[in-house]
Amino acid sequence: MTRISNDTEFRKALDGLDPARQRHVAARFVENVLALCSDERIARVLRVAGNTEASEGELAEALKTAKATTFDCHTRCGSEGDWSEQAGYFVARAATAALTPIGQMPSGPAWQAALSSRMAQTSESIVSGDDIAGQEADQQYGILSEFLNP
Amino acid sequence: MSASLDRGLNAFKEQIDAPVAAFFSSCVRCGLCAEACLFYTETNDPVRTPIHKLEPLRRVWKQEYTFWGRLASALGMSKPVTDEELTNWETLVYDSCTLCGRCSMVCPVGNDIAYMIRKMREGMAVAGHAPPDLIGATKRAVTIGSPMGVKLPALQAQIRHAEKEIGFSIPVDVEGADYMLLLSSMEIMNFPEFISAIARIFKHANVSWTISSEAFEATNSGIQIGVSEIAAELVERIVTAAGKLKVKSVISPECGHAYMAIRWEGPNLIGRPYDFKVVHILELLDELREQGRLKTTGMETQRLTYHDPCQVSRRGGVVQQPRNLLNMVAENFVEMPETGTMNWCCGAGGGVSSNERADDLRLKAFNRKKKQFDAIHPDAIVSACSNCRIHLEDGLEEYDMDIPVLSLTETIAEHLAGSEQPGSKE
Repeated sequence: MTRISNDTEFRKALDGLDPARQRHVAARFVENVLALCSDERIARVLRVAGNTEASEGELAEALKTAKATTFDCHTRCGSEGDWSEQAGYFVARAATAALTPIGQMPSGPAWQAALSSRMAQTSESIVSGDDIAGQEADQQYGILSEFLNP
Repeated sequence: MSASLDRGLNAFKEQIDAPVAAFFSSCVRCGLCAEACLFYTETNDPVRTPIHKLEPLRRVWKQEYTFWGRLASALGMSKPVTDEELTNWETLVYDSCTLCGRCSMVCPVGNDIAYMIRKMREGMAVAGHAPPDLIGATKRAVTIGSPMGVKLPALQAQIRHAEKEIGFSIPVDVEGADYMLLLSSMEIMNFPEFISAIARIFKHANVSWTISSEAFEATNSGIQIGVSEIAAELVERIVTAAGKLKVKSVISPECGHAYMAIRWEGPNLIGRPYDFKVVHILELLDELREQGRLKTTGMETQRLTYHDPCQVSRRGGVVQQPRNLLNMVAENFVEMPETGTMNWCCGAGGGVSSNERADDLRLKAFNRKKKQFDAIHPDAIVSACSNCRIHLEDGLEEYDMDIPVLSLTETIAEHLAGSEQPGSKE
């Protein structure tokens, strides 16, 4: 198979995955930006998301933790925003998407996890001033290509 | 008397206009407003009765503008408002009121209590009795242009991200566009997907629009803290940008108080009518629906309900439009027991969400909202205010309720017919 090189192919490939495989690849997208989140709960949550043996109870608990982390990391209305911390918020949001049952996220958990991961990188680029946000999409194409062709 | 108290009391006097005087003189002290206020119903604390929150302002009105009050003052028989009292009232006026206006709806003599609280905040702010967090937000709004410190490069980065996602460019500073879109800092920071959702819908409906690089912020901290001069300055920035770009209309985004500020208070604040129209994004989407320019595909099968943001529905009049839009995409829409103009507030409007010391009280008051959800057990909640959205999520988590909260605009964008879906184009 040729390597995925754009969002059309990317989304089509994600849509073709069953819910469990969507979750597994979504976890890899989030791992790729995990360094942008200082909250240790997300690393633990991702271990569950990426685990092929995880039980429904473990997944539900991990989702709850991811949601709680997302809320803890958001910038409250009217407070001074810090884009580095905001990157962590988007990583937490990506982890939440990865663990959300597909029925609750019609656009697809993996696609949403990919988008939020890109938003995390965008937030980081606002801090650094480097226009590196677009590179995240390319890395995700690579991650998905490898996932599909191990 | 301290200089700040003196200035504050003078500000109170200036704020007592004909409606305020009429409202105070017609109050029959029935207490109905208490049962309409979530800060009272969820605490049972009588000091949180809406009309009681206005007591210092009422005393100034009585002492300064009524015959018997002036006589009593002249004879030394009335109690002047003190700095200590205003300190005590600060939490009632700012932490225990979201300016939601539900109290105004039930007043049997038609007193607009929310209007009076808004007026009272003017005096409180001048007297130095505004919450520190709101002061900080207001300073940033004036100096940076955003209460959350969002600068143009950050917006530009979010726009680039959205363009990459949707595969086409987002118009910025396009002179002669029909519509100029405002954004709240909450959307730019926490919900940037709103930008791509709007862009996809507008491309689909062939809407001529732009964002101004000089005035993109929709929110108005001056309104929340109660400093009309600042509120007017923030409105003027939008008016100037709209004039420069020669747009026909300005769009208020999914933010409750921003709509109140720019649509209803703005012209009065700057003392002249606008040269453009102001529409809430839901009003525009519903117009597009009516014109047959907004086509959707597929239906949400889950049980959806709609949380009316107070400043959009009750104070703003945008009640039917969101329901028309939801009918396009939700086959299992269910109303809460009290809804539309009588909906219960999320507890975080009017600057309460910016005020960290009010968190415990806000979450306690959220119990009122929880009761509405408990009555219908929705699978998901849709709303049209990013502040409501994040605080609904906070409240739901506090009360251990697992219900997703969605943006109505983003939900519509997810159902667009045709090819305006992210990832569908290069």
